[in-house]
Amino acid sequence: MNGRATIRESWVLIAPAFLFLLAVIALPILRVLWLSFLHADLVGNQHFSFAGIDQYDRLWNDARWLKSLGNTVMFTFSSVAIELGLGLALALLLHRAFRGRGLVRALVTLPWVLPTAIMALAWAWIANDTFGVANDLLQRLGLLRAPVAWLGAPATAMTTVVLADVWKTTPFVTLVLLAGLQGIPDTVVEAARLDGLSPWRRLARVTLPLLLPSVLVAGLFRLIQAYGAFDLIYVMTGGGPGGATETVSLYAYRNYFRYLDFGYGSALAVQAVVLMALLSWAIVRWAREPGEVS
Amino acid sequence: MIAPKKVIWAALVLMSTAAVGIGCAPPSAHGPATSTISVLLPPSERPFWQPIANGFEAAHPGTHVDLVEGPQSTDLRESLYTTSLLARDATFDLVYLDVTWTPKFAAAGWLRALDDSFPPSEREHFLPHAWDAGIFDGHLYRVPVRTDMGLLFYRQDWLDSAHVRPPATFEQLAEDAVVLGDPPARWGYVWQGAQYEGLVCNYLEVLTGYGGYWIDPETNDIGLEDPEAVAAAHFLVDAPQVRASPPGVGTYQEEESRRIFQDGRAAFLRNWPYAYRLSQQAGSPLVGHVGVLLMPATDGGRPSGTLGGWGLGVSTYSKNPELATEFIRYAVSIESQRALCAPTGYAPALEAAYLDSTLLAVNPFLTRFRALHRHCTVRPAIARYAQASDILQRHLSAALAGIESPQMALEHAAHETRLLLGPRHPPRGTAG
Repeated sequence: MNGRATIRESWVLIAPAFLFLLAVIALPILRVLWLSFLHADLVGNQHFSFAGIDQYDRLWNDARWLKSLGNTVMFTFSSVAIELGLGLALALLLHRAFRGRGLVRALVTLPWVLPTAIMALAWAWIANDTFGVANDLLQRLGLLRAPVAWLGAPATAMTTVVLADVWKTTPFVTLVLLAGLQGIPDTVVEAARLDGLSPWRRLARVTLPLLLPSVLVAGLFRLIQAYGAFDLIYVMTGGGPGGATETVSLYAYRNYFRYLDFGYGSALAVQAVVLMALLSWAIVRWAREPGEVS
Repeated sequence: MIAPKKVIWAALVLMSTAAVGIGCAPPSAHGPATSTISVLLPPSERPFWQPIANGFEAAHPGTHVDLVEGPQSTDLRESLYTTSLLARDATFDLVYLDVTWTPKFAAAGWLRALDDSFPPSEREHFLPHAWDAGIFDGHLYRVPVRTDMGLLFYRQDWLDSAHVRPPATFEQLAEDAVVLGDPPARWGYVWQGAQYEGLVCNYLEVLTGYGGYWIDPETNDIGLEDPEAVAAAHFLVDAPQVRASPPGVGTYQEEESRRIFQDGRAAFLRNWPYAYRLSQQAGSPLVGHVGVLLMPATDGGRPSGTLGGWGLGVSTYSKNPELATEFIRYAVSIESQRALCAPTGYAPALEAAYLDSTLLAVNPFLTRFRALHRHCTVRPAIARYAQASDILQRHLSAALAGIESPQMALEHAAHETRLLLGPRHPPRGTAG
């Protein structure tokens, strides 16, 4: 048996999986890319025609797109920042040995395993002005005089959907960071302790730098997910009030499935992917740099 | 060394033939002589369609009706139909259409015109508004099966004990709502103000009451900047501000508002007839205490309720369009209307059903409903209805949330709608 034959054989072996991935991932992406260069508005004209960059041109004059992009950025960065902070705190807490740790670790992951649509509906009811638990609690605690319709004004609606997202996805960040913490050798931390570093400096100088790869993985995953947020917002606000929580993916969905405008919907999708790819690339580059310098 | 390779190739060939085989498998397990038609239905309705399907199969030997259970959410079912029709797929022969889908689906070329089987002379057998909602561009694409309309429900007992007459004008409704309410324990008037289709339905009724209009599909005229339209928006925006409606009414859909009323915490509820049905069920504290009205009107306007409802159309890609049309014919027979509407309380689309003793015995409200249904107001039958509705939803919601004044919201909505629909058409009959 020679090497070339083995290579050929391995190609044959991976061919089914490769073709399958090509069919379900690459082809749809190419199709969306192609559609974004077409006039493909079924309600206006049942025959598609080449549009050049018309659909991308439309973006710049579309105030609704700019608004939804702003909403998406706002939602993404605030939820990911809170999740990373909270997730780190929880991971550090759960990394310590204490009685019942196994049970607490299991409980913490609970929100992550609930279906988003169901928990979004629950959060919408929690935020309800008449029946909502949030208003009831805050009034009992004396923090509120009258019930507030949390999803009824732009700022509170955005805050509420961010909080719901934080509740749902902090467990994911916690799990990734906890795994990262467990990968840090005890000897390193122990050595720092013997050298007389205070707990805060141990965290800042030893644990966090070693944890950076995990923070990066968790952060990037969450960034990409939050940027594409759909079901949570669709169920909680439908993009309201007055479009204050409409995200790019919600807008793209509406162009596809409500307006049957596949050209513009595709342009929105492509634009979102390109922006996200650029952002991820920048973050990965930024994170790599200090390693290369030292 | 050759043998394993052969095995691999053989396996690959086998796998691909299997895949092709699965793709081409006949959809029906009922033998070659059977012709099948299928339709996607909400799970809540499917059980009540089964007897209709059984009856049809018995009357047409060798046929099979496949009632596919879809998601309960209207939007998700619309997405499923859209995906399937977009792929020119023959999975669904029949399309169970919401009242607002018809123009869009017809404009996309997804529905067959049914004029040959259901000529205009058939209109008299149906509730006229329900029938007309199936017409787009002069052709019938959808036959109504069940109909719906927005109504104003009120606490008869509260009004009686306060010696208040049911309101006939918006001023009276606002006044009564404030007088009968005792917020936050008891609210005057609850309705649907969230940014979704229901907000447009609520607004359209008020707008009709003020004598205004939204879009004239004939001319492309837009009435949102008229004083009537602004007054109508003010009526809704003011309601929570004068504490007639709860502060969160701008986040309510049907269920949020209905629960407040059902809990005995609201004097007036704008909703669909299902809310009345639930309020009159055994065990409900509201049995015998609920009155029904149209949305009121001012001088120059008319009392009304927004038309809703469901009907059947035939997919362009159906391989059995004749059989599918036959099924529609059967679905709007009096027997089928009885089977669907008696156990559910739905309002039938067939005129004769409102004289049917079985249906009237289980649902005496039907007589009153039939009288109210004459006053329906309809959403414009335009192909770009979804966009037009989204524009209005966003700006009305912005007005309710205090982001825009009602005047400004409607100016923006009118401007965006004008860009969407293009220039106005000359009135009919004018040359060039």
